Amino acid sequence: MAFVQIRAAKEGDCGDILRLIRLLAGHTPRSSLCVFIPPISVALRADGFGENPFYHCLVAEILPAPGERQGPSIVGYGLYYFIYSTWKGRNVYLEDVYVMPEYRGQGIGSKIIKKVAEVALDQGCSQFRLAVLEWNKRAIDLYKALGAQDLTQVEGWHAFCFEGEAMRKLGGK
Amino acid sequence: MAFVQIRAAKEGDCGDILRLIRKLAEYEKLSDQVKISEEALRADGFGENPFYHCLVAEILPAPGERQGPSIVGYGLYYFIYSTWKGRNVYLEDVYVMPEYRGQGIGSKIIKKVAEVALDQGCSQFRLAVLEWNKRAIDLYKALGAQDLTQVEGWHAFCFEGEAMRKLGGK
Repeated sequence: MAFVQIRAAKEGDCGDILRLIRLLAGHTPRSSLCVFIPPISVALRADGFGENPFYHCLVAEILPAPGERQGPSIVGYGLYYFIYSTWKGRNVYLEDVYVMPEYRGQGIGSKIIKKVAEVALDQGCSQFRLAVLEWNKRAIDLYKALGAQDLTQVEGWHAFCFEGEAMRKLGGK
Repeated sequence: MAFVQIRAAKEGDCGDILRLIRKLAEYEKLSDQVKISEEALRADGFGENPFYHCLVAEILPAPGERQGPSIVGYGLYYFIYSTWKGRNVYLEDVYVMPEYRGQGIGSKIIKKVAEVALDQGCSQFRLAVLEWNKRAIDLYKALGAQDLTQVEGWHAFCFEGEAMRKLGGK
């Protein structure tokens, strides 16, 4: 039986990570008017493996059992970065967590999330934040089962965003 | 008449910034959640690898006025990452003391953060606001922001305290 390990991503994993990012984006329509395709130009290698990385990433890798011939395969990932709360100090933010549909139901997503929490606690973080779409019942149930609170529901927080022309106008560009 | 300048915070501003952080928490009716110290703000913002960046709004006295400069607002932000868009900026806090509102100081801070972020190659500017904070919501929408919770259904989730320690096996 194949074995799943959760490990830190290496630069050579970026092709696989981009493949999974696209699968996650395809699973997440942003509006009824379009299906969002992430830009190919997102510089995953430079941004994650340069001198001052903008993110950190864990991958879930299937290692074949002894005697099996198929090579390792990356079937999930968790991409996170460190943020700052003026109330609590250093926190971690899980930007993406994704497991390919055929590998779900085995606790791989939970393993990724737990590993991010472990790394974050070792780094002195006191909060672990993430966002989820309100229709994503499976994810919501998982996060709540793991002990998360829905701050939008409990405290009324709304996520706002400036982008494109609105952001350029704001910044005087 | 006094003049307001928006400038990058210096380490010596941390006492003022903490004062304003506490006032913002009080305004958001979440005062008991402020656990951070001035020492942590200094170390976290002015060490070798800062975890945040900060702008302050400073009132400079007019020529002839004797009162010294006074920090009346701040904007604290950091850089984040979108797997769809790359580098983004997140405005964690923006606050202006009540007696200095209505003069466009908050807008100036937000615009300065956007300018800095665009110079750094960011393509999105994200922030969070409490649903009852109509004044802030109106300001952000007037400046061109979208409410992604309303439009796309995003919810902010959080693990902390015992739940986070249990999750991380500690």
